[in-house]
Amino acid sequence: MISPVYITGTGVVSAIGLGKEATLEALLGNRSGVGQLKYLKTEHKEFPVGEVKLTDAEMRALLGIPQDAVTTRTALMGMLALGEALDEARLTPDLLPKVGFISGTTVGGMDMSEQFYLDYLHGDAHKEYISVYDCGSCSEMTAVHFGKFAFATTLATACSSAANAVIQGANMIRCGEADIVVVGGSECITKFHLNGFNSLMILDTKPCRPFDATRSGLNLGEGAAYLVLESAESAKRRGVAPQALLSGYGNACDAFHQTASSPDGEGAYRAMKEALDLAGLKPGDIDYINAHGTGTPNNDVSESQAMIRLFGEQVPPVSSTKPFTGHTTSASGSIEAVFCILALQHSFLPVNLNWSQPMDNGIVPVSKPEKKSLNHVLCNAFGFGGNDSSLLLSKPDR
Amino acid sequence: MKNNNIYVLSAKQISMQQPLSEEWMQNPVLYDVPFSRSIDPSFKEYVSPIEARRMGRILKRALATSKEALKTAGRETVDAIVTGTGFGCIENTEFFLDALSNDGEQLLKPTYFMQSTHNTISSLVAIQTKNYSYNATYAHKGISFESALHDAWLQFQLEKIKSALVGCHDEMTETFYQIMKKGGVMGQDDERCGEVAVSVVLSTNSEAQPLCRLTGLKIMHQPAMGDLNDAVVAMLQSAGRSLDEVDYILTGISGNHQNDEAYLAETKALFGDKPLLKYKHLFGENFTASGLGFYVAAQCLNAGKVPTHLFVNANEATDKRPKCILLFNRSDGKDYTLTLMES
Repeated sequence: MISPVYITGTGVVSAIGLGKEATLEALLGNRSGVGQLKYLKTEHKEFPVGEVKLTDAEMRALLGIPQDAVTTRTALMGMLALGEALDEARLTPDLLPKVGFISGTTVGGMDMSEQFYLDYLHGDAHKEYISVYDCGSCSEMTAVHFGKFAFATTLATACSSAANAVIQGANMIRCGEADIVVVGGSECITKFHLNGFNSLMILDTKPCRPFDATRSGLNLGEGAAYLVLESAESAKRRGVAPQALLSGYGNACDAFHQTASSPDGEGAYRAMKEALDLAGLKPGDIDYINAHGTGTPNNDVSESQAMIRLFGEQVPPVSSTKPFTGHTTSASGSIEAVFCILALQHSFLPVNLNWSQPMDNGIVPVSKPEKKSLNHVLCNAFGFGGNDSSLLLSKPDR
Repeated sequence: MKNNNIYVLSAKQISMQQPLSEEWMQNPVLYDVPFSRSIDPSFKEYVSPIEARRMGRILKRALATSKEALKTAGRETVDAIVTGTGFGCIENTEFFLDALSNDGEQLLKPTYFMQSTHNTISSLVAIQTKNYSYNATYAHKGISFESALHDAWLQFQLEKIKSALVGCHDEMTETFYQIMKKGGVMGQDDERCGEVAVSVVLSTNSEAQPLCRLTGLKIMHQPAMGDLNDAVVAMLQSAGRSLDEVDYILTGISGNHQNDEAYLAETKALFGDKPLLKYKHLFGENFTASGLGFYVAAQCLNAGKVPTHLFVNANEATDKRPKCILLFNRSDGKDYTLTLMES
């Protein structure tokens, strides 16, 4: 059992809103942000998506960045979320040189590279965007907007990237290498992965229906969220109260297939089990699970099996919030961790929208709004390649 | 909690030097071209022919170096697989982008996309070695390898793991090289670019004959010289060493003029006249080239000698047995890493 890491600030942006207030309102009001594609330039108008309802130019304006600056959408969304998290934790620029930054992204600056790829090949136009193609440069751009962090690095484990950033940050704090590490992830929708997911035939042309018998794929989403992880001593010294505790976490590999989950959910089971073990908690202590729940036939069976294996007859209330936001891929781990923290703080179970019929051998998710006092919740994020991670978040002691 | 005994049990590479071999210590392959792909071994031993046909080069190399590293370490499995890659599976990314740009959005096949994400590499190694344990991938430019190493380092200290396979992999096509050069990312001045495949097995047990030990690791972002100096002092103190006991500083001097001048100035300020070593002139530059530096230092410590052709100043070359090498990586002058390795 570990001593929990404090979470002293959070920030989020997704299809359901910019900032935590708008996010909470949408979650409590069952208002989905998934709809007709508007911002991404693509032929695939048939797929509903969860876009952040701002153009890049609007985001630059909000952030006070010159309109001619070289930016990527992933970095811009990251800055919006990071700003809120830093403000909440009262981390001013003078404090950042002692603070670490770990971000998750896989798409990185692909949004610009896919637009300018032919230019890169045949001339000099837009060549200033070449150096912001890679994942690391997006994290760096996000971080330096606020000042000089002690260090910065990037996790790229596809859809569990942000969750793994949380884990690495927690390990640093537990090792005493840092008092404060800001962790999370950001990812915009690109033509590249919209088409990639389409080629794998895992996109639904209707709003996604996780854990429903009629589910037939996911909707892509985008967004960013960051969590300020802090040692208990540092938070007490600075007089910052924890919003929640990170009491456990697990990372395991499904070791089954590059783009499919094992039928028995081995990786998912191990990740959740490890999170419980690290926290010194029993399955019965968990009050809610925010599932990965993408809405693909494969994921929801695999994840259900893992939950049934771990929790037996007593699976706690489960929901996937992806019908609200779409699947925000690399950022989903931290976005959904913020949803969990909101649920802990405001005592409610987020609804699994669009659900109506139970699937075979699956769990039955939360389908109606419910107020419930929560002490411990699990948040799952699973990636391609079977990179499965689970975070255990708890209400701070009063 | 500090664990000073992390043994490097094995270190394998595929690069522009002879693959899976330390032949470069005696007879390095010399190049007069600014970019070269790696010299590949036969992959028959590591991948079945059917799988090999569908698998990108970066993946085949990762399997080869990983399996060889595990074999030499005498291990079938490890407690964690952690990988660094600056660009991920760039050849498949390029194929998919080509198709997207030239053929449009209607006829795309999934094969390239399935093998285009960064974590494809680490996952593949896990799938092929049936390893369900911790698995992660870092992609942060020139410190991608050290970020992966740091992940394992922390878990060793927390006693979460007793062994780890840490690798770093980057591939580069001619097209991608030209784009990176155009964007000023790498390949400037006399800098030669290459591809990287490195796998190392680390363990807290010295069961196999270890190559060396990893005794310090620090990652920093835009440090001032004073911060760097403090970090060096703290690292040496924690390892129970003095600067006098450090035999060599392994630098990332690469042929990029501005970068090389900064290396010389900064090492002078931090380490005085300590002899400097380099490796990128033999192995080329790439985001994870510093993993090749780790491999080079491990092999030199194990062999008990540093080949003359690694010295920045050839007249400093000696037969002295190296016991302690400090790896100094300044990635684009923004991200810095210090890695302490001892025999």
